[in-house]
Amino acid sequence: MINKIKASLSEKILFIFLISLAAFSFSFFFIIKNKCFFIKEINPEEIQFDNPENIAIMNVECGNVIIELYPNFSPKAVGRFKYLIQKGSYDKSSFYKVIKDTLVQAGDIEFGNIDNINYFKVGSGRSGLGALNSELNDVFKFDEGSVALARGTELNTEDSEFFIILKKIDLYNGEYTPIGKVIHGLEALKKIKSANKSGYVLRPDFINYIKLLD
Amino acid sequence: MRLLLILFLLLQINSLKADEIYNLQINSLKADEIYNLLKIPNLEVYKLNNSNGIKYLNAKKDLKIGIKDNITCNKSNKKKLDEKFSLVSKNLDRYDADFLKKINLRFIVLCENLYISKINTGGIPDHKKRTLILDLNFNKIYFERVIHHEIFHIIHNSFKEIFNETIWSKLNDKSFKYAECSTCSDRLNLNLYDKTNGFLTEYSKSTASEDMAEIYSFLITDKIIIEKKSTKDPILFNKIEYIKSGIDKIIKFND
Repeated sequence: MINKIKASLSEKILFIFLISLAAFSFSFFFIIKNKCFFIKEINPEEIQFDNPENIAIMNVECGNVIIELYPNFSPKAVGRFKYLIQKGSYDKSSFYKVIKDTLVQAGDIEFGNIDNINYFKVGSGRSGLGALNSELNDVFKFDEGSVALARGTELNTEDSEFFIILKKIDLYNGEYTPIGKVIHGLEALKKIKSANKSGYVLRPDFINYIKLLD
Repeated sequence: MRLLLILFLLLQINSLKADEIYNLQINSLKADEIYNLLKIPNLEVYKLNNSNGIKYLNAKKDLKIGIKDNITCNKSNKKKLDEKFSLVSKNLDRYDADFLKKINLRFIVLCENLYISKINTGGIPDHKKRTLILDLNFNKIYFERVIHHEIFHIIHNSFKEIFNETIWSKLNDKSFKYAECSTCSDRLNLNLYDKTNGFLTEYSKSTASEDMAEIYSFLITDKIIIEKKSTKDPILFNKIEYIKSGIDKIIKFND
Protein backbone atom coordinates (compact mmCIF):
# COMPACT_ATOMS: atom_id res chain seq x y z
CA MET A 1 0.00 0.00 0.00
CA ILE A 2 1.47 3.29 -1.00
CA ASN A 3 0.70 6.22 1.20
CA LYS A 4 -0.19 9.46 -0.53
CA ILE A 5 2.37 12.12 0.40
CA LYS A 6 0.99 15.60 0.78
CA ALA A 7 3.21 18.41 -0.61
CA SER A 8 4.48 20.83 1.96
CA LEU A 9 3.87 24.58 1.62
CA SER A 10 7.46 25.27 0.56
CA GLU A 11 7.22 22.55 -2.09
CA LYS A 12 4.02 24.12 -3.42
CA ILE A 13 5.68 27.55 -3.58
CA LEU A 14 8.70 26.08 -5.36
CA PHE A 15 6.41 24.31 -7.84
CA ILE A 16 4.48 27.51 -8.59
CA PHE A 17 7.75 29.42 -8.96
CA LEU A 18 9.10 26.89 -11.45
CA ILE A 19 5.89 26.93 -13.48
CA SER A 20 5.93 30.76 -13.57
CA LEU A 21 9.60 30.80 -14.53
CA ALA A 22 8.96 28.37 -17.38
CA ALA A 23 6.01 30.43 -18.63
CA PHE A 24 7.99 33.64 -18.41
CA SER A 25 11.02 32.12 -20.18
CA PHE A 26 8.80 30.72 -22.92
CA SER A 27 7.05 34.05 -23.62
CA PHE A 28 10.28 36.04 -23.25
CA PHE A 29 12.00 33.77 -25.78
CA PHE A 30 9.30 34.44 -28.37
CA ILE A 31 9.22 38.19 -27.68
CA ILE A 32 12.98 38.42 -28.00
CA LYS A 33 12.97 36.30 -31.15
CA ASN A 34 10.45 38.64 -32.71
CA LYS A 35 12.49 41.81 -33.19
CA CYS A 36 9.45 43.63 -34.53
CA PHE A 37 7.34 42.96 -31.43
CA PHE A 38 7.43 46.52 -30.11
CA ILE A 39 7.27 48.27 -33.50
CA LYS A 40 4.10 50.21 -34.13
CA GLU A 41 2.33 49.25 -37.35
CA ILE A 42 2.05 52.17 -39.78
CA ASN A 43 -0.96 52.18 -42.09
CA PRO A 44 -0.55 54.85 -44.80
CA GLU A 45 -4.30 54.80 -45.51
CA GLU A 46 -4.93 56.25 -42.06
CA ILE A 47 -2.59 59.20 -42.62
CA GLN A 48 -3.39 62.48 -44.35
CA PHE A 49 -0.50 63.71 -46.49
CA ASP A 50 0.05 67.27 -47.68
CA ASN A 51 1.90 66.12 -50.81
CA PRO A 52 0.61 62.63 -51.62
CA GLU A 53 2.38 62.70 -54.99
CA ASN A 54 5.70 62.77 -53.15
CA ILE A 55 5.07 59.97 -50.68
CA ALA A 56 6.87 56.63 -50.98
CA ILE A 57 5.95 53.62 -48.87
CA MET A 58 8.76 51.19 -48.17
CA ASN A 59 7.78 47.88 -46.64
CA VAL A 60 10.42 46.06 -44.59
CA GLU A 61 10.32 43.15 -42.17
CA CYS A 62 9.09 45.27 -39.26
CA GLY A 63 6.45 47.18 -41.20
CA ASN A 64 5.96 50.27 -43.30
CA VAL A 65 8.33 53.22 -43.58
CA ILE A 66 6.83 56.39 -45.04
CA ILE A 67 9.21 58.66 -46.93
CA GLU A 68 8.34 62.17 -48.07
CA LEU A 69 10.32 63.03 -51.20
CA TYR A 70 11.73 66.51 -51.85
CA PRO A 71 11.90 67.16 -55.60
CA ASN A 72 12.42 70.88 -54.92
CA PHE A 73 15.84 70.07 -53.41
CA SER A 74 16.98 67.43 -55.90
CA PRO A 75 14.68 67.15 -58.92
CA LYS A 76 16.87 64.76 -60.92
CA ALA A 77 17.63 62.47 -58.00
CA VAL A 78 14.00 62.29 -56.89
CA GLY A 79 12.98 61.70 -60.52
CA ARG A 80 15.41 58.77 -60.72
CA PHE A 81 14.21 57.38 -57.38
CA LYS A 82 10.55 57.54 -58.42
CA TYR A 83 11.30 55.95 -61.77
CA LEU A 84 13.08 53.01 -60.14
CA ILE A 85 10.26 52.59 -57.62
CA GLN A 86 7.70 52.47 -60.42
CA LYS A 87 9.81 49.86 -62.25
CA GLY A 88 9.91 47.76 -59.08
CA SER A 89 13.71 47.84 -59.14
CA TYR A 90 14.01 48.32 -55.39
CA ASP A 91 11.77 45.39 -54.47
CA LYS A 92 13.83 42.76 -52.60
CA SER A 93 16.85 45.06 -52.56
CA SER A 94 19.07 44.19 -49.60
CA PHE A 95 20.27 46.48 -46.83
CA TYR A 96 23.80 45.27 -47.49
CA LYS A 97 25.49 48.17 -45.71
CA VAL A 98 24.28 48.92 -42.21
CA ILE A 99 26.18 50.91 -39.61
CA LYS A 100 24.49 50.21 -36.30
CA ASP A 101 22.36 53.11 -35.04
CA THR A 102 23.83 55.27 -37.82
CA LEU A 103 22.62 54.37 -41.30
CA VAL A 104 21.09 51.72 -43.53
CA GLN A 105 21.89 51.52 -47.23
CA ALA A 106 20.15 49.64 -50.03
CA GLY A 107 19.35 50.06 -53.71
CA ASP A 108 22.10 48.18 -55.55
CA ILE A 109 19.71 46.83 -58.14
CA GLU A 110 22.39 44.93 -60.06
CA PHE A 111 24.17 42.99 -57.30
CA GLY A 112 22.10 43.60 -54.16
CA ASN A 113 18.82 41.81 -54.87
CA ILE A 114 18.25 39.31 -52.07
CA ASP A 115 17.43 36.52 -54.54
CA ASN A 116 20.82 36.70 -56.26
CA ILE A 117 22.99 38.85 -54.03
CA ASN A 118 26.65 38.98 -55.04
CA TYR A 119 28.68 39.59 -51.88
CA PHE A 120 31.84 40.34 -53.83
CA LYS A 121 30.27 43.01 -56.02
CA VAL A 122 27.43 44.42 -53.95
CA GLY A 123 27.78 48.20 -53.72
CA SER A 124 29.25 48.50 -57.19
CA GLY A 125 26.11 47.78 -59.19
CA ARG A 126 24.65 50.11 -61.79
CA SER A 127 21.10 50.85 -62.80
CA GLY A 128 22.01 51.20 -66.46
CA LEU A 129 20.61 54.74 -66.45
CA GLY A 130 23.98 56.42 -65.97
CA ALA A 131 25.46 58.41 -63.12
CA LEU A 132 23.71 61.53 -61.87
CA ASN A 133 25.36 64.80 -60.99
CA SER A 134 25.32 65.51 -57.27
CA GLU A 135 22.58 67.94 -56.26
CA LEU A 136 24.07 69.39 -53.11
CA ASN A 137 22.74 72.22 -51.02
CA ASP A 138 23.45 73.66 -47.61
CA VAL A 139 19.80 74.21 -46.72
CA PHE A 140 18.86 70.57 -46.26
CA LYS A 141 19.86 69.34 -42.81
CA PHE A 142 20.79 65.71 -42.33
CA ASP A 143 18.61 65.02 -39.31
CA GLU A 144 17.43 61.60 -38.17
CA GLY A 145 15.50 59.91 -40.97
CA SER A 146 17.06 61.85 -43.84
CA VAL A 147 17.18 59.92 -47.10
CA ALA A 148 19.92 60.59 -49.67
CA LEU A 149 21.41 59.04 -52.77
CA ALA A 150 24.63 57.19 -52.02
CA ARG A 151 27.76 57.85 -54.09
CA GLY A 152 31.39 56.88 -54.36
CA THR A 153 34.05 59.03 -52.70
CA GLU A 154 33.83 61.35 -55.72
CA LEU A 155 30.90 63.65 -56.44
CA ASN A 156 28.63 63.10 -59.45
CA THR A 157 28.64 59.31 -59.08
CA GLU A 158 25.10 58.88 -57.76
CA ASP A 159 22.99 56.18 -59.40
CA SER A 160 20.35 54.00 -57.71
CA GLU A 161 21.68 53.34 -54.20
CA PHE A 162 20.29 55.30 -51.31
CA PHE A 163 20.78 55.45 -47.58
CA ILE A 164 18.72 56.55 -44.60
CA ILE A 165 20.38 57.93 -41.50
CA LEU A 166 19.19 56.84 -38.06
CA LYS A 167 20.66 59.81 -36.22
CA LYS A 168 21.52 63.44 -36.92
CA ILE A 169 24.81 63.71 -38.85
CA ASP A 170 25.87 67.34 -39.31
CA LEU A 171 28.95 66.28 -41.25
CA TYR A 172 26.71 65.13 -44.12
CA ASN A 173 25.11 68.55 -44.63
CA GLY A 174 26.02 69.65 -48.13
CA GLU A 175 27.88 66.40 -48.91
CA TYR A 176 25.17 64.09 -50.25
CA THR A 177 22.19 64.53 -52.56
CA PRO A 178 19.08 64.55 -50.34
CA ILE A 179 15.93 62.95 -51.70
CA GLY A 180 13.60 63.05 -48.72
CA LYS A 181 12.90 62.26 -45.10
CA VAL A 182 11.26 59.41 -43.24
CA ILE A 183 8.11 60.85 -41.71
CA HIS A 184 6.75 57.63 -40.18
CA GLY A 185 8.21 54.23 -39.32
CA LEU A 186 11.83 55.00 -38.60
CA GLU A 187 11.71 52.47 -35.74
CA ALA A 188 11.28 49.69 -38.31
CA LEU A 189 14.58 50.71 -39.91
CA LYS A 190 16.37 50.66 -36.56
CA LYS A 191 15.65 46.92 -36.44
CA ILE A 192 17.41 46.20 -39.74
CA LYS A 193 20.16 43.63 -39.24
CA SER A 194 23.60 45.17 -38.84
CA ALA A 195 27.12 43.78 -38.83
CA ASN A 196 29.30 43.92 -35.73
CA LYS A 197 32.30 45.92 -36.93
CA SER A 198 32.25 46.38 -40.67
CA GLY A 199 29.33 48.05 -42.36
CA TYR A 200 28.72 45.04 -44.63
CA VAL A 201 26.07 42.53 -43.64
CA LEU A 202 25.93 38.83 -44.39
CA ARG A 203 22.46 37.45 -45.08
CA PRO A 204 21.07 40.98 -44.92
CA ASP A 205 17.52 42.16 -44.35
CA PHE A 206 15.82 43.53 -47.42
CA ILE A 207 13.07 45.78 -48.76
CA ASN A 208 9.92 43.79 -49.46
CA TYR A 209 8.71 46.49 -51.81
CA ILE A 210 8.58 50.25 -52.31
CA LYS A 211 5.62 51.90 -53.93
CA LEU A 212 4.46 55.46 -54.49
CA LEU A 213 1.27 56.49 -52.72
CA ASP A 214 -0.24 58.06 -55.83
CA MET B 1 20.20 10.83 -32.72
CA ARG B 2 22.86 12.26 -30.40
CA LEU B 3 25.42 11.99 -33.19
CA LEU B 4 23.15 13.95 -35.49
CA LEU B 5 22.70 16.62 -32.84
CA ILE B 6 26.47 16.93 -32.30
CA LEU B 7 27.00 17.13 -36.06
CA PHE B 8 24.38 19.90 -36.30
CA LEU B 9 26.04 21.89 -33.50
CA LEU B 10 29.47 21.54 -35.11
CA LEU B 11 28.07 22.86 -38.40
CA GLN B 12 26.60 25.84 -36.57
CA ILE B 13 29.96 26.64 -34.92
CA ASN B 14 31.73 26.36 -38.28
CA SER B 15 29.24 28.68 -39.98
CA LEU B 16 29.73 31.27 -37.22
CA LYS B 17 33.47 31.18 -37.69
CA ALA B 18 33.03 31.62 -41.45
CA ASP B 19 30.90 34.71 -40.81
CA GLU B 20 33.50 36.26 -38.58
CA ILE B 21 36.33 35.55 -40.99
CA TYR B 22 34.30 36.96 -43.87
CA ASN B 23 33.63 40.15 -41.95
CA LEU B 24 37.30 40.56 -41.16
CA GLN B 25 38.22 40.03 -44.79
CA ILE B 26 35.76 42.63 -46.05
CA ASN B 27 36.74 45.29 -43.62
CA SER B 28 38.71 45.01 -40.42
CA LEU B 29 37.91 48.63 -39.57
CA LYS B 30 35.09 49.90 -37.48
CA ALA B 31 32.69 51.54 -39.89
CA ASP B 32 31.17 54.87 -38.90
CA GLU B 33 29.60 57.85 -40.63
CA ILE B 34 32.94 59.56 -41.32
CA TYR B 35 34.50 56.42 -42.77
CA ASN B 36 31.39 56.04 -44.91
CA LEU B 37 31.97 59.51 -46.34
CA LEU B 38 35.75 59.70 -46.74
CA LYS B 39 36.99 56.11 -46.51
CA ILE B 40 39.50 57.23 -43.91
CA PRO B 41 39.22 55.36 -40.60
CA ASN B 42 39.54 56.56 -37.00
CA LEU B 43 38.50 60.16 -37.53
CA GLU B 44 36.31 62.45 -35.48
CA VAL B 45 34.85 65.85 -36.20
CA TYR B 46 36.98 68.72 -34.90
CA LYS B 47 35.15 71.73 -36.33
CA LEU B 48 32.33 72.12 -38.84
CA ASN B 49 30.42 75.22 -39.91
CA ASN B 50 33.31 77.39 -41.02
CA SER B 51 32.50 80.39 -43.18
CA ASN B 52 34.40 78.99 -46.18
CA GLY B 53 32.79 75.55 -45.85
CA ILE B 54 35.95 73.73 -44.76
CA LYS B 55 35.30 70.83 -42.38
CA TYR B 56 38.07 69.93 -39.96
CA LEU B 57 38.53 66.38 -38.75
CA ASN B 58 41.18 64.88 -36.54
CA ALA B 59 42.59 61.40 -35.99
CA LYS B 60 41.24 59.91 -32.76
CA LYS B 61 43.39 56.81 -33.34
CA ASP B 62 46.37 56.00 -35.57
CA LEU B 63 45.32 55.55 -39.16
CA LYS B 64 46.50 53.63 -42.20
CA ILE B 65 45.17 54.20 -45.69
CA GLY B 66 46.19 53.91 -49.33
CA ILE B 67 47.57 51.11 -51.42
CA LYS B 68 48.88 48.45 -49.03
CA ASP B 69 48.36 50.94 -46.17
CA ASN B 70 51.33 52.98 -47.43
CA ILE B 71 50.00 56.16 -45.82
CA THR B 72 50.19 56.24 -42.04
CA CYS B 73 49.52 58.92 -39.46
CA ASN B 74 49.25 58.95 -35.68
CA LYS B 75 46.37 60.17 -33.59
CA SER B 76 46.47 63.84 -32.73
CA ASN B 77 47.28 65.01 -29.24
CA LYS B 78 44.50 67.28 -27.98
CA LYS B 79 46.81 70.00 -26.70
CA LYS B 80 48.86 70.09 -29.90
CA LEU B 81 45.71 69.99 -32.00
CA ASP B 82 44.22 73.02 -30.27
CA GLU B 83 47.54 74.81 -30.50
CA LYS B 84 48.10 74.17 -34.22
CA PHE B 85 44.47 74.51 -35.27
CA SER B 86 44.53 78.30 -35.06
CA LEU B 87 47.51 78.31 -37.42
CA VAL B 88 45.84 75.92 -39.86
CA SER B 89 42.50 77.73 -39.86
CA LYS B 90 44.19 81.13 -40.19
CA ASN B 91 45.81 79.91 -43.41
CA LEU B 92 42.72 78.15 -44.74
CA ASP B 93 40.60 81.23 -44.02
CA ARG B 94 42.55 83.02 -46.75
CA TYR B 95 40.47 81.05 -49.26
CA ASP B 96 36.77 81.75 -49.78
CA ALA B 97 34.05 79.16 -50.22
CA ASP B 98 33.71 79.79 -53.95
CA PHE B 99 37.41 79.23 -54.65
CA LEU B 100 37.55 76.12 -52.44
CA LYS B 101 34.53 74.69 -54.25
CA LYS B 102 36.18 75.27 -57.61
CA ILE B 103 39.42 73.57 -56.59
CA ASN B 104 37.67 70.67 -54.81
CA LEU B 105 38.83 71.16 -51.24
CA ARG B 106 36.36 70.48 -48.44
CA PHE B 107 37.97 68.39 -45.67
CA ILE B 108 41.12 68.94 -43.65
CA VAL B 109 42.33 65.92 -41.67
CA LEU B 110 44.71 66.71 -38.81
CA CYS B 111 47.03 64.06 -37.44
CA GLU B 112 50.66 63.61 -36.35
CA ASN B 113 53.70 62.06 -38.03
CA LEU B 114 52.33 61.65 -41.53
CA TYR B 115 54.24 59.20 -43.70
CA ILE B 116 53.80 58.05 -47.28
CA SER B 117 55.80 54.96 -48.21
CA LYS B 118 57.86 55.55 -45.03
CA ILE B 119 58.79 59.10 -46.10
CA ASN B 120 57.71 61.88 -43.74
CA THR B 121 55.57 64.51 -45.45
CA GLY B 122 53.82 67.71 -44.39
CA GLY B 123 50.61 66.95 -46.19
CA ILE B 124 48.86 64.61 -48.58
CA PRO B 125 46.25 66.08 -50.94
CA ASP B 126 43.45 64.07 -52.54
CA HIS B 127 41.35 66.26 -54.80
CA LYS B 128 38.99 63.42 -55.71
CA LYS B 129 38.05 63.00 -52.05
CA ARG B 130 38.32 66.80 -51.65
CA THR B 131 40.60 66.14 -48.72
CA LEU B 132 43.95 67.37 -47.44
CA ILE B 133 45.71 65.46 -44.66
CA LEU B 134 48.11 67.63 -42.65
CA ASP B 135 50.88 66.59 -40.25
CA LEU B 136 50.68 68.70 -37.09
CA ASN B 137 54.25 67.74 -36.23
CA PHE B 138 55.78 68.90 -39.49
CA ASN B 139 58.75 71.29 -39.21
CA LYS B 140 57.52 74.53 -37.61
CA ILE B 141 59.57 76.70 -39.98
CA TYR B 142 57.79 75.40 -43.05
CA PHE B 143 54.43 74.40 -41.56
CA GLU B 144 52.34 77.32 -42.82
CA ARG B 145 53.94 77.35 -46.25
CA VAL B 146 53.45 73.59 -46.59
CA ILE B 147 49.70 74.07 -46.15
CA HIS B 148 49.61 76.27 -49.27
CA HIS B 149 52.08 74.02 -51.09
CA GLU B 150 49.70 71.07 -50.64
CA ILE B 151 46.68 73.21 -51.52
CA PHE B 152 48.41 73.97 -54.81
CA HIS B 153 48.60 70.24 -55.54
CA ILE B 154 44.83 70.12 -55.10
CA ILE B 155 44.48 73.11 -57.44
CA HIS B 156 46.86 71.52 -59.95
CA ASN B 157 45.06 68.18 -59.94
CA SER B 158 41.73 69.92 -60.47
CA PHE B 159 43.06 72.16 -63.28
CA LYS B 160 45.75 70.18 -65.10
CA GLU B 161 45.04 72.05 -68.34
CA ILE B 162 45.68 75.43 -66.75
CA PHE B 163 48.93 74.40 -65.05
CA ASN B 164 50.53 72.53 -67.93
CA GLU B 165 53.73 70.74 -66.89
CA THR B 166 55.19 70.65 -70.42
CA ILE B 167 54.79 74.41 -70.87
CA TRP B 168 56.17 74.93 -67.37
CA SER B 169 59.25 72.79 -68.00
CA LYS B 170 60.05 74.91 -71.06
CA LEU B 171 60.39 77.95 -68.78
CA ASN B 172 63.61 76.41 -67.43
CA ASP B 173 67.05 76.31 -69.03
CA LYS B 174 67.15 73.77 -71.83
CA SER B 175 69.80 71.76 -70.00
CA PHE B 176 67.66 71.29 -66.87
CA LYS B 177 65.64 68.14 -66.22
CA TYR B 178 63.30 67.32 -63.37
CA ALA B 179 63.33 63.91 -61.64
CA GLU B 180 60.75 61.25 -62.49
CA CYS B 181 58.87 61.84 -59.24
CA SER B 182 59.10 64.01 -56.12
CA THR B 183 60.47 61.17 -54.00
CA CYS B 184 62.76 59.85 -56.75
CA SER B 185 65.36 62.53 -56.08
CA ASP B 186 67.28 63.61 -53.00
CA ARG B 187 66.36 67.25 -53.67
CA LEU B 188 64.27 67.67 -50.54
CA ASN B 189 65.50 70.86 -48.87
CA LEU B 190 62.79 73.50 -48.41
CA ASN B 191 65.04 76.47 -47.55
CA LEU B 192 64.77 79.51 -49.81
CA TYR B 193 67.85 79.92 -52.03
CA ASP B 194 69.84 83.16 -51.85
CA LYS B 195 70.56 82.89 -55.56
CA THR B 196 67.48 81.46 -57.15
CA ASN B 197 68.44 80.72 -60.79
CA GLY B 198 64.84 79.87 -61.64
CA PHE B 199 64.20 77.79 -58.52
CA LEU B 200 63.19 78.92 -55.06
CA THR B 201 64.31 75.82 -53.15
CA GLU B 202 66.14 72.57 -53.74
CA TYR B 203 62.78 70.80 -53.60
CA SER B 204 61.60 72.97 -56.52
CA LYS B 205 64.04 71.02 -58.70
CA SER B 206 62.39 67.66 -58.00
CA THR B 207 59.39 67.82 -60.38
CA ALA B 208 57.47 70.44 -62.35
CA SER B 209 54.48 70.03 -60.06
CA GLU B 210 56.59 70.55 -56.91
CA ASP B 211 58.26 73.54 -58.54
CA MET B 212 54.87 75.12 -59.21
CA ALA B 213 53.71 74.32 -55.67
CA GLU B 214 56.82 75.95 -54.21
CA ILE B 215 56.29 79.13 -56.26
CA TYR B 216 52.62 79.21 -55.27
CA SER B 217 53.28 78.67 -51.56
CA PHE B 218 55.90 81.43 -51.46
CA LEU B 219 53.50 83.70 -53.35
CA ILE B 220 50.99 83.21 -50.56
CA THR B 221 53.34 83.45 -47.58
CA ASP B 222 56.32 85.57 -48.76
CA LYS B 223 55.09 87.39 -51.84
CA ILE B 224 57.26 90.52 -51.46
CA ILE B 225 60.50 88.56 -50.97
CA ILE B 226 60.12 86.35 -54.02
CA GLU B 227 58.84 89.15 -56.25
CA LYS B 228 61.96 91.08 -55.31
CA LYS B 229 64.10 88.08 -56.19
CA SER B 230 62.28 87.69 -59.49
CA THR B 231 63.38 91.15 -60.66
CA LYS B 232 66.88 89.70 -61.07
CA ASP B 233 65.77 86.25 -62.24
CA PRO B 234 63.80 86.18 -65.54
CA ILE B 235 63.02 82.44 -65.28
CA LEU B 236 61.59 82.93 -61.82
CA PHE B 237 59.69 85.98 -63.04
CA ASN B 238 58.04 83.99 -65.83
CA LYS B 239 57.16 81.18 -63.44
CA ILE B 240 55.54 83.59 -60.98
CA GLU B 241 53.53 85.18 -63.80
CA TYR B 242 52.44 81.75 -65.04
CA ILE B 243 51.13 80.78 -61.59
CA LYS B 244 49.40 84.15 -61.09
CA SER B 245 47.65 84.00 -64.45
CA GLY B 246 46.55 80.41 -63.77
CA ILE B 247 45.01 81.36 -60.44
CA ASP B 248 43.29 84.31 -62.11
CA LYS B 249 41.74 81.95 -64.65
CA ILE B 250 40.39 79.77 -61.85
CA ILE B 251 38.93 82.74 -59.99
CA LYS B 252 37.18 83.84 -63.20
CA PHE B 253 36.21 80.26 -64.04
CA ASN B 254 32.48 79.57 -63.83
CA ASP B 255 31.13 76.06 -63.20
